[in-house]
Amino acid sequence: MTNYFLKRLLAMVMTLIGVSLIVFMMVHLIPGNPVTYILGDFATEEMVKELESRLGLDKPLPIQYLSYMSGVMQGDFGTSYITGYSVMEEILNRIPITAQLAIYSVLFGSFVGILMGTIAAVKHNTIFDRLAMLVSLIGISAPSFWIALFLILIFSYHLSVFPISGYTGFYSLILPSITLGLGSAGNIARMTRSSMLEVIKQDYIRTAQAKGANLYRLVFHHCLQNALIPVITLIGMQFGYLLAGAVVTETVFALPGIGSLVVSSIATRDIPTVQGLILFMAFMFILVNLIVDLLYTKLDPRIQFD
Amino acid sequence: MRKITNISIVLTLLFSVVLSGCGSTDQTSTDSKDSPSNREIVVAMVTEPDSVDVHKTSSIEDATEPLYETLFKRDKDGNIVPNLVEEYSMSSDGKEGTFKLKTGLEFHSGKPVNAEAVKKSFERMMAISPFNSNLGTVEGIDVVDENTFKIRWAEPYAPFFSNATSEFLAPLDVSVLDRQGEGFEKNPSASGPLELVEIKRGDSLVYKPNEKADWGEKGAPGFDKVTFRFIPDDETRLLEFKKGTVNVLLNVPIQYVEELEKEPGVTLERVPDYVLNYLGWNNKLPIFQDVRVRQAIALAVDREPIIQTTMRGEAKPVFGPLPSVVFGYSQTIEDKAKEKYAHNVEKAKQLLAEAGWSETNANGIVMKDGKPFSVDLWVTNEPAKQRAAQIIQNQLKEVGIEVKIAVKESAAIIEQTPKGAHQMILWTYGWFDADVMYFLLFGKGRSTRLHYEVDELDHILQRARVETDTKARLKLYEEAQEFLLEQTPFVPLFVRESITATRGLEKFEMHPISNAIQWKEVEVGQ
Repeated sequence: MTNYFLKRLLAMVMTLIGVSLIVFMMVHLIPGNPVTYILGDFATEEMVKELESRLGLDKPLPIQYLSYMSGVMQGDFGTSYITGYSVMEEILNRIPITAQLAIYSVLFGSFVGILMGTIAAVKHNTIFDRLAMLVSLIGISAPSFWIALFLILIFSYHLSVFPISGYTGFYSLILPSITLGLGSAGNIARMTRSSMLEVIKQDYIRTAQAKGANLYRLVFHHCLQNALIPVITLIGMQFGYLLAGAVVTETVFALPGIGSLVVSSIATRDIPTVQGLILFMAFMFILVNLIVDLLYTKLDPRIQFD
Repeated sequence: MRKITNISIVLTLLFSVVLSGCGSTDQTSTDSKDSPSNREIVVAMVTEPDSVDVHKTSSIEDATEPLYETLFKRDKDGNIVPNLVEEYSMSSDGKEGTFKLKTGLEFHSGKPVNAEAVKKSFERMMAISPFNSNLGTVEGIDVVDENTFKIRWAEPYAPFFSNATSEFLAPLDVSVLDRQGEGFEKNPSASGPLELVEIKRGDSLVYKPNEKADWGEKGAPGFDKVTFRFIPDDETRLLEFKKGTVNVLLNVPIQYVEELEKEPGVTLERVPDYVLNYLGWNNKLPIFQDVRVRQAIALAVDREPIIQTTMRGEAKPVFGPLPSVVFGYSQTIEDKAKEKYAHNVEKAKQLLAEAGWSETNANGIVMKDGKPFSVDLWVTNEPAKQRAAQIIQNQLKEVGIEVKIAVKESAAIIEQTPKGAHQMILWTYGWFDADVMYFLLFGKGRSTRLHYEVDELDHILQRARVETDTKARLKLYEEAQEFLLEQTPFVPLFVRESITATRGLEKFEMHPISNAIQWKEVEVGQ
């Protein structure tokens, strides 16, 4: 287990270095120079050169990369070219909102998804099954901006239950979480259903039925527990994606999270912020997947990493 | 299994609670967003300013404007009048200006707005601001006494007074900065009518009225708090306004104007924008060398369908190089331009034929030396701009010019146009002084979008910069515009109507020229 963990940590570091290199290349290859953006329409060639020199953008790319990475190793992700704020400060300001949104969305999506998937599997080929799959299909296929506006119109504009937009604490995250969670719920429901259907066909389930196990115990103890491994993997992936920022949802609900910061930073070619955010997102994604992998051993004792 | 699930749930909830605690906004502000308190004004806008530090940005937004008080200002007729400055005098050679500040002025921090503060602020501006050229070629700034400072220029710089009406030249309190000259965002202090209380990055800027400011006859501000909220989505912004949680909706999207006009209790205020939308091209390309080709393009463009379709009529056509609110605008020039470049397809075709573009290929595109007249038109991803580009594409097709629309991010356009990588471009410019023709459009080494640098025009514009006599300066700008009218290096299209919707306010006023909210004239309803 320890060996496995160390190997994964090493792989994580290597992956992050790879990500940093790719991101560095990409932000320097796409058209658009942060200096011309900062200086605006009135920039002259001399002003551009002077600012490039001040920001270190006139140095060869390998030197720029090494200098950036040396800062990262010491916990310094640089300073935003556009706002002048430290990138770490910007991320730390925004992450609580995005993390809360991700957690609430995943909780909502997992609860609804697992419940729908379980009902669909247990009531296979009945009206409940079809209804659950129809709802999950809507969750997956309906665009998030459409769901968001629909929820805002009903619950915020007409019923005045929740604020329309902005971050003001838990209440303001309920509609965005449902918006995001519906998509996850659809995916989780479909995965739970197919995984449960496989488990239901197993001999030990028939044995449990023959021994007279009640429905609750049969479904939640014997079936669901064993059907959860692929579902947990999916939940982990969904959580990772959500931590990377839900751009559309954050935009519609005017939430100052990671997603909206990524979009504005790319538009303004704010290289340090884009690099810092993508490294951070990659780190979170890898970390969540590592935790999910480690959870496997707890869910199924037959899985041993060593 | 159950144990693990329970632990996971507990951990997750704990994590949520911890993160909730980390949030920058507390629950009390929930109430403020649900409905503004009686004396609070909530203004909704699309984008957050890059920085509240005026020396660190290249664009002043509505949300940062009220933080600063300018040295000079424009009255409602567009005349430049003293503001923080009480009186001033210029030396006979125009190279030295002596400015006396009003007495008793204070920054938000309580520190005096005196000559020393202005000097330090200007020095910082010259060192770090992208707009430092707006001070002219300054040789030195001297403090004469507590309230008087003197600026010495290497050569006269006529646009100074016009530039001094902008916040870029407004004094800020450098005493709040750290040793590196940083930290203004954490402790902002200037002398504008509003005092910045809180910056919630990505969310809002919260202001309170500056008690030390001059609030006119009534002697007190008409509100207690102003919150600028940044809501990027148009629909969400509109719903917030209709719900009553926002009092001022800036730059109302054109498609919602009709709906808001029918909404009870809503007032719409229209002010012509000073930003000119134009069709430009890279004048260094061989295809645009012949003046007849450029004139043909100008004649082929019909502004009215563009305005009606893309702006729903909420814009004014412009034919001359300058919009009406800019110093240097001439009604005579505008009339001449309107007559010379009224939409005329036949004349455009004739001019193209005279320039050698007479044959046409199977698609009706004119040809010269076996090559079709085909150009790329760069446009940003703004929907209205894209619709305008499509109309222009059709209009130019009528005279046999093929236009291929290429949608690009503005950052890419800003970077690539100075290199001359473009052919045609749908772009804008906005400044209050005709000097913009020199430092942005046609000055040597400065024509980054149009690449039109001609000695004759450059000389006129350079003379106008150093001409301190206003009448003589206006005459020079008229001369420059006559030249541009004949040479047609770009096609001015229109200025939008800037539309602001308000509700729940007793009084509200926008400046008719700068479009800025006149906070001293704003009052909340009972």
